[in-house]
Amino acid sequence: MAEEFPVVGLDTDAREAVELLAARRLPGLIVVDERGRPYSVLPASQVVRFLVPTYVQDDPSLARVIDESLADQAADKLSGVTVRKLLPSEPVELPVVNHDDTVVEVAAIMARLRCPLVAVVKDNDIVGAITASRLLELVVSPH
Amino acid sequence: MTVIAVVVFVIAYVLIATEWTHKLLAALGGAAVLLALGVTDSEHAFYSHETGIDWDVIFLLLGMMIIVGILRRTGVFEYVAIWAAKRAEGSPLRVMILLTLITAVASAFLDNVTTVLLIAPVTLLVCDRLGVNPVPFLIAEVMASNIGGAATLIGDPPNIIIASRSGLTFNDFLIHMAPLVVIVLAVFTMVLPRLFKGSFTVDPDKVENVLRLNEREAIQDPRLLIKCGIVLLAVFAGFVGHAIFQVEPSVVALLGAGLLVLISGVPTKDYMSSVEWQTLLFFAGLFIMVGALVNVGVIGELAERVGEATDGRPLLAVMLILVVSAVLSGIVDNIPYVATMSPVVLELAKGVTDPAHAHALWWALAAGADFGGNATAVGASANVVVIGIALRAGHPISFWEFTRKGVVITAITILVAAPYLWLRYFVLS
Repeated sequence: MAEEFPVVGLDTDAREAVELLAARRLPGLIVVDERGRPYSVLPASQVVRFLVPTYVQDDPSLARVIDESLADQAADKLSGVTVRKLLPSEPVELPVVNHDDTVVEVAAIMARLRCPLVAVVKDNDIVGAITASRLLELVVSPH
Repeated sequence: MTVIAVVVFVIAYVLIATEWTHKLLAALGGAAVLLALGVTDSEHAFYSHETGIDWDVIFLLLGMMIIVGILRRTGVFEYVAIWAAKRAEGSPLRVMILLTLITAVASAFLDNVTTVLLIAPVTLLVCDRLGVNPVPFLIAEVMASNIGGAATLIGDPPNIIIASRSGLTFNDFLIHMAPLVVIVLAVFTMVLPRLFKGSFTVDPDKVENVLRLNEREAIQDPRLLIKCGIVLLAVFAGFVGHAIFQVEPSVVALLGAGLLVLISGVPTKDYMSSVEWQTLLFFAGLFIMVGALVNVGVIGELAERVGEATDGRPLLAVMLILVVSAVLSGIVDNIPYVATMSPVVLELAKGVTDPAHAHALWWALAAGADFGGNATAVGASANVVVIGIALRAGHPISFWEFTRKGVVITAITILVAAPYLWLRYFVLS
């Protein structure tokens, strides 16, 4: 069920990580700590949240008054920033499953954590990841 | 009973001021203890205007919260703020002055917290576009909000409590408080360049970023805006004429809210989400606690002591209330302070023969409590809200950064208010 998936470190350059997300159209990235163990999942939506100014999140009507130049400058926020800064400030539960977990177990974790991606581990080592679309593919495929 | 009432009240007050527990828990907990120990009872707590929950205050706040909850969906506030920022042609000082004036005017008619919640995102946007630090702008706006809120009966919750306890009308506030607020705002505006010296440098290339903002896009539903405008006009006409029509402001606000709900078509959960139930329950708990103090005679005795301390001289009492209110409102939230002091001032006013002097006692309480909210970072709810917004936007404002400016502005505003009260109610009356 698990597929190979790119992994980034906490101190990876944020722009590099976002370019990886964009180039491969990934739903998120698995983030590992200094020892290579899964630390967090960085959903693409979290990156978008980081790039959008808080004032637009507080007052969505302001998004309409701004021209496209703000979008052009959005990527500037990534310069000099690491992946650590992109993660939510509040620690969140790690979306990790074991390599032998069932589809239902994976789905349960994904639904509970509202995460588009879970890391798959075997003996504390990452062996891949399962995306929401991969999970749905398994659910709807003829048996 | 007197000792129990005082002990419970002081403990609850300390908990509210220090925020060791949630203020709602402290207020309702204190009220529950007083009810459980028989210091007050349901008759006094729920059915007496003098010793219980002031339902006029609760329902006036509820009505205005619903009206504002619908009004903020129109985008009119964002439209006006961006329009003004563009008129400033990129000058940060002019932007600050215009945004603070808009905030002050809006605060006179809307709750201060709502006003700063509306103005802060626009300010962050404009400052971001100009490439200037938004912190001085946010501090100036919240101070203008606390000043502007003093102008009308509905501008600041302490004024609502004062009006209900004193019987002063919407027009009384307009006639007596609004001129003072205009003078204070003029002085405040003159002080701004010095208070935030060094905050007004801008890269000329960035001015164009503000001029490119399209304020028209902020208004998505012009029909909703028109409906809100009509209802608001009717509500303010009701406020102005409430003494003539013999209709309480709370009823005017509730009727306006009901009408706006009916004609706006805004879903129930949307406008109800803007009702701050915790604030309303906090008020209820406070009223029960203060009512218990009135019930056991503590308030009457306190008023007597203040009367003795001021030797029956109304001018001394007015100045004492003004200064003490400003100092204490900077330390504790001005809502519990005014809820406690209103019955004291009511007792004091009964002993003053000249009606102008009696009114001056109320205006001193309003000015002291409203302007005193600027003194520290925790002096008013709006201050706390703005500091939170700034932090989330990556521009933290420390307690002392705010308080350093706040103490200066509070001192200036009280120095303006004191001669105003003296001249208007003692020299010229």
